[in-house]
Parts: sequence; C-alpha cells; structure tokens
Amino acid sequence: MVDRRAFLGALGALGLTGGSAGADSAAPRKKIALVTTLWEYLSHGQHMGDRFLVGFPLNGRWQRPRVDVASAFVAQRRDNDLSGQRAEEFGFTIYPTITEALRCGGERLAVDGVVIIGEHGDFPMNEKGQVLYPRFEYFQEAVQVFEQDGRAVPVFNDKHLSYSWQKAAKMVQDARRLGFPFLAGSSVPVTYRNPPVDVPYGAEVVEALAVGMGGVDHTAFHVYEGLQSMLERRRGGETGVRAVQLLEGDAVWKAGEEGRWSHRLLEAALSRSDSLGGDSVLDSRPQDLVRSGKLPSLIGEGDTARAVMIEYNDGLRAAVLMLDGVLGDFNAAVRLADDEIVSTQFYAPPEPNVAYSGLLMAHVEQMIVSGKAPYPVERTQLTSSVIERALDSQQAGYQRLETPEFAIAYQAPRESLFGN
Amino acid sequence: MHFTRRQFLAGSAAALAVPPALLRGPALLRGGETAPQRRPRIAALASTYHKYAHAQHIVDRFLEGYGWEGRHRRPEMDVVALYVEQAGPDDLSRERAGRHPQMKIYPTIAEALCQGGSALDVDGVLLIAEQGSYPSNDKGQTLYPRYEYFRQIVDVYRSSGRVAPVFVDKHLSWNWDYALEMVETSRAMGFGLMAGSSLPVTWRHPSRDLPWQADVREAVGVWRGGPDGGDIHVIEALQAIVERRRGGERGVRAVQALRGEAFWQAFDAGSWDAGGWDGDLLHATLARSHELVPSRPTFNHIFPTPEDIRRMAPDSYAYRFEYADGLRATIIQLNEGEGQGVVRDVNVAARLGDGEVFSVLCHLPYRSLRNFFSPQVRHIETLIATGTAPYPVERTLLTTGMTAAGLESLAQQQRKLATPHLTFTYQPVQQSMFWRS
Repeated sequence: MVDRRAFLGALGALGLTGGSAGADSAAPRKKIALVTTLWEYLSHGQHMGDRFLVGFPLNGRWQRPRVDVASAFVAQRRDNDLSGQRAEEFGFTIYPTITEALRCGGERLAVDGVVIIGEHGDFPMNEKGQVLYPRFEYFQEAVQVFEQDGRAVPVFNDKHLSYSWQKAAKMVQDARRLGFPFLAGSSVPVTYRNPPVDVPYGAEVVEALAVGMGGVDHTAFHVYEGLQSMLERRRGGETGVRAVQLLEGDAVWKAGEEGRWSHRLLEAALSRSDSLGGDSVLDSRPQDLVRSGKLPSLIGEGDTARAVMIEYNDGLRAAVLMLDGVLGDFNAAVRLADDEIVSTQFYAPPEPNVAYSGLLMAHVEQMIVSGKAPYPVERTQLTSSVIERALDSQQAGYQRLETPEFAIAYQAPRESLFGN
Repeated sequence: MHFTRRQFLAGSAAALAVPPALLRGPALLRGGETAPQRRPRIAALASTYHKYAHAQHIVDRFLEGYGWEGRHRRPEMDVVALYVEQAGPDDLSRERAGRHPQMKIYPTIAEALCQGGSALDVDGVLLIAEQGSYPSNDKGQTLYPRYEYFRQIVDVYRSSGRVAPVFVDKHLSWNWDYALEMVETSRAMGFGLMAGSSLPVTWRHPSRDLPWQADVREAVGVWRGGPDGGDIHVIEALQAIVERRRGGERGVRAVQALRGEAFWQAFDAGSWDAGGWDGDLLHATLARSHELVPSRPTFNHIFPTPEDIRRMAPDSYAYRFEYADGLRATIIQLNEGEGQGVVRDVNVAARLGDGEVFSVLCHLPYRSLRNFFSPQVRHIETLIATGTAPYPVERTLLTTGMTAAGLESLAQQQRKLATPHLTFTYQPVQQSMFWRS
C-alpha cells in the first residue's frame, strides 16, 4: 500500500503540509490501469508509471498523484522487472491480460483511465527498421472492453500511435467513434524549452528545420513531434502532409546546397545546442559548424547523416536532420513571414530523473481528471505517419513519396503547453 | 578574521588618491555615444587555461564565438593579449594562440596589458583566477590571486594614466578587505568593474524573475555544498533575485553558520523564528530541481523524506543571513561530501508578502559546452563596449562578503556574527539579466 504515514511524515520539515493541489478532494479519486510492455529501471514504463505512484513536480510543488493506479498489465516481466515490487508497495494488482487489468479482475470496466506505454522490451523489428511495439494491439484490446462494457474512458498512448499509419488512423477513428479523450506522443512537445519561445499563434511560417541525432524510427519521431508542436500553430492550422522523402549521406549536404533546407535555420538551431560534437567534446570550445565546413566530418564512424524532408499541404516545407556525432540534443528553428526566426532547444533534463516525464504525465493526469485531452491526438497521428513514410522512402531508394492519405487537419490549442 | 571597521558607502570618496588625469578613459568608454574607431582589444588574465577551466569557457567565447539568439555570435572585440599563470600539460592556451594569431601570450600581467609595450594598450581586461593550484587557508578558502592580479592591473593603469573596464570572474576575492579595495579603486579611478558567477545570468526554469519591488519576507537557496567555491554560486543566485525587492538592497547585518547537530535542529525547526527556515521554501527549491538524487533504489525521481536527507547528506550546512531591512535568507547546502547528496542543481525560493512562493531552478547545462558562460560573456561584451557594468558589482561585493562571513562563522564554532561592513546599499537594475532569449 501507499505508505501514507511515511508520506505525511515527509511533510513537516519539508513544508508539504497543506495546499498541495488536489491532495485531498471531496470527489472520489479516479483509478487508472497501466498497460506496459516493461517496467524496468529507466524504461518508459517505470519513469512514467512511477509518476502515478510517487508524484511529480508541478508549478513549484511536489504534487501527489491525483489518480490511483488500480491495476497493471506488464507484458514482459524479466529479471529486472519492478512491477511486482511496485504492486506490493503501492497496492495494485497485476493482471495477466489487458482486459482483466481494465476490469480489475471483475466483469466490467473498473478504471477511469488507461495509460498505454509500449516502449522497450523484446519485440521484432521489420525490414524498415521499425520495432513492432504492440501499441495498436493494446489499444484495440482496451477499445474492445469499452465496447463490450458500454463505457469508454480517457486513454494515453506513449510515443508513436503505431509503426503503421493505417493502424494509427484506426486508433484515432476508434477514439472518435466511441467519444473518449485520447492523448499520445512524445514528451518533447511538453518539455522545457531554452529559450521558452513558441511560434506565435496564427503566424505565417515560411520554412522550418529541426536537428537531433539517433535513428529515424526511434528518435527522429521525438524531434519531429517537437517541431510539429510549433508548426501546428501556423496560420490556417494544420492541413497535413503531401509528400515525404528521406535523404542520407551526401544527399543531405547536397540538399542543403540546393536550398532544400536552410543553412541559416541550421545555424539558428545549432546555436541552441549545448552538446556539439567534435572539437567541443575534445576541449569544450564553441563552434560555428555551419560555416566551418566541418559538419560532414563530424558524422560518427559507421553513422550517416539523415534528413526527413516534409512537404505540407499548405506549401510549408520542413526538414528534420539527424546528425549523429554533431550534437546530442534536440533543437528547432522556424522562419516566419517577417523573416524573424524562432529557435529553441527542446531541453530534456538529464538521467536518471528525466524530469520531462513528469511534465508529460501531468498532462495525462489532467486529462483523466478533467475528461479532456489537452492537445489533439492528430498531431501524433501525423508524426507517426510521416516517420513511417520516411522509412518507406528509404526502402524505395530514397524517393519522394506523395502522401494524399496524410491530409490530417487539426487545430492546435492557442495556449503553449510546454514546461515553464 | 577582523572585518574592517570602514563602512562601505555607495559613491564614497576614494580610499586611494588618484590624480584626475587618471580618470580619463578612452572615448569609447564614456557612455558609448561615440562609435569606437576600432574594435576594442582585450587582455585576458588566467590562472590556468585547460578544458572546462573558467578561462577556457570565457576566453574561448571571444575567440571562437558562441551560440546566441539564433546565431553564431562573433563578439565585435578581440582578445589580443593573454597571460596564463599555470600552464600545465593540459594547457590549451598555446593551441588557442596558434589558431588565433591576433592573441599573443605574454609572460607577465603588465606585459599583457601593454601588449609588450610600456603603457596600457587594451580596452578591457578579463581577470579569471579560478582553478589551478593555490593554497587554502584554515577556513577552507582557496587563495586564488584575484586581488593580486587586480593590483597589477591598477599599477599599469596608474603608470599609464589610462584605465579600462575589468571583469572579475566569480568572487572579487576570498578576502573582504581586498574585495572592498577593488571596488573602491574602480570607483576612484573611474573604470567599469563587473564580477560574479554565471548563476544570476543563466537560464531559469521557469523563466521568471521576482516581480520588481515585490515584498519579500524570506528566501532559501539550495545546492550540493562545497564551502567557499560552492557557496558563492548559490548565494549570488539568491541575491540576484532578492535584490529586486521593495526598498532596494540595504545589505546584510548578521550571519550564522549551522553545521552538524545545529544544522539538523534547524532542519527540523520548520520556521525561521524557531531557528530554522520556512519549510515551504525548502520544499519549493527541491520541487524545482531536475536533479534530485534518487533517495530509493529503482526510483529515478522521487521526493526525499527528511530521513532521506539526513542519510544522504549527513554533513549538510547552512548560512542564515539577516538583512538590514529585515529580510531573512538561508543558504542550505545539502552537502554531498562523502555521501550521495540530495540535489545537484541550484534552486531558489522566496516567500512574498502576499504569502505566495516564488521559486526557480537556475539551469546550468553541463554538456560538451558549458553554455551558462554565454550570457555572462554577452554581459562582459556590454561592459567592454560601454565601459559600464550591466549589473552592479556591489552585488558581488556583497556576496563575496557574505561568503567570507559565512565561512568565518563556521570557523568560529558557528557563532552568530554581526556584519556591519555588509550593511551597504546598492541599486539593482530593473531589467532582468538572466538568459531568456
């Protein structure tokens, strides 16, 4: 069980008495089911799932969870599994199936929210390099319960909706059909920014670029979703994507020479990085990498530069550069119609705390408590789809692929929802 | 330590007699109305210049440029002369001079300031004496030679009949009398003096400042410990916030250090009046942290209990400062020492007059680039271009004195010490100077 006495014991000397938002409320506390592939140290299942057990910092206070974990499903319980210990300490039950977890072992849906975390664990990889995490399948099982039991509750899905754009689309359709709040995606859109800037709501955006490192499926998704959370604020709202192309190696640099992505925007994005490679690793010197000509030489041995080139239906063009060896953080730059450039780092606080997971889970908790998703799941439908299509482009010899099926239109919330 | 009896008075007459002729700086230093005819030239004085040394971070940004507001910024001024006192096997200054031939290395401070000639021949001086091998005293202060360097700078100014602005990294000195003399000398001779830590000017999470002229009752700053060198950073982070309070800064009238059992009694007290601090403020600082040390195995981000804090930072200590206007502030160093520690980043919280708590994390990005030096360098550029420090050196004079007085109280068995020498006033700038854009 939650050691309430120990928790309250912590309150005195640390001033926790009174005022912690939502710590005690007249309304009955909502219950959630945690559905995860894995619950091991620093897996998404752990660092996000634990937020609902031990709380997270919010607005200058350590916030006790406002919802209770009632049940969990953990697909792979290996030697390092923590879920058994957590269940014992915090008083929830681990069920062998998702259906049983959602019904807490009873006959009918018995939770008020479902958190699906299908990241990490042993799952096969397809020929495109996508790990086939069973998020769609987990979601479908939840939807089945909702349908059978005649009640649906808010769902959060960590990271991509699915490796498959069709599956992602079906998930969004199901949520619409049954009318439950559905939130998904990366923590990058809601983490801290240095500086804390956004695209002004309704601004005309001319071009955009994001830069990070890592693989297309695993990491470009994060960087792109950060960028998309800025771009969706542009004039006319989101209209979807008409074409996607992946570039690799020399083609990335050639595209820059041809103006298909902007050196000026790359300079702006790199100016926000704290983690340049090469000589900055050697002796911590700052570098003007766009002008020095050293960029291509910094790509790590065995790595290659990659760029996801994205054409939107309203004519906007964006590039997501993945430059292993050049930097170790995520940055974006957006040129507005008045030639102003908005640039920032999506700041990921360091391990082991990865404090961004608290920022994301605060939005999830708020959705479950309020019954309203804070930002549209269509964002993640679009980013999931574009990332998959970039891998299709790679498979098709780096062709530009048209994407009429990605005419995913949505309106962004006016309020910026990143951490500040 | 014997505090000087001499009260520091803002704008006081010079302690040193300086002929009026010496007060004349180059044209570009007077208000900056006249565009300089040439790029300002800088002499950098460094105790050491190796990877991650403060001199490397600061001088490199003048040599290589740095990321700033969406550009790779190239300061419109040049470091032309460098003095490095301790150049060991890890020295980078030779490599830097090789790639940046406009910067020459000189064997003495005077030669650097005169670029090998006989009179001052630069338009600004960087004094960066942090790191390197220097003795410490029995109070745990490292005797970095900032004052000694400063004296040599002033000697050149005197003999040249010309002055130039000076930036002093971190404390002004380990010694209050020295620090006071440095500030009085700059006043008397009429050159801009800027000093301090990068903590007041780095990113904050959230990106907020204390409302100007807010009523502040009590403040707490928390970090990971490190007497002297680790103290001034968090003291200055707090001071840059509380100096904005109603009535302006009027200084500090007393300090008491707490360590050992006295610290833990204060920790349990729950309020200033009971001998400790406002527990909500310590809570707020820890709740802002991105780097709480996990207090339980297998948990990555979890709020420590009081028992956890005792176990993880048994050699914690604190300085309780009483300000002249009644403000109370506590620096709580949850000292890592031989333990795990509790918190790895600097956080500050303040109780405002309306009962609200203001709190921020002062974010130091520790990656390949230590970019918290970037806003500091940007402010140094302003100092050198205009001749005027963008924020008052008196802040660092006060924090230098607060640090030394705190260590003195520790050395005197945690006796509460009156600090009449620290009850001076200064006027902070209304514009927030931390990194926001």
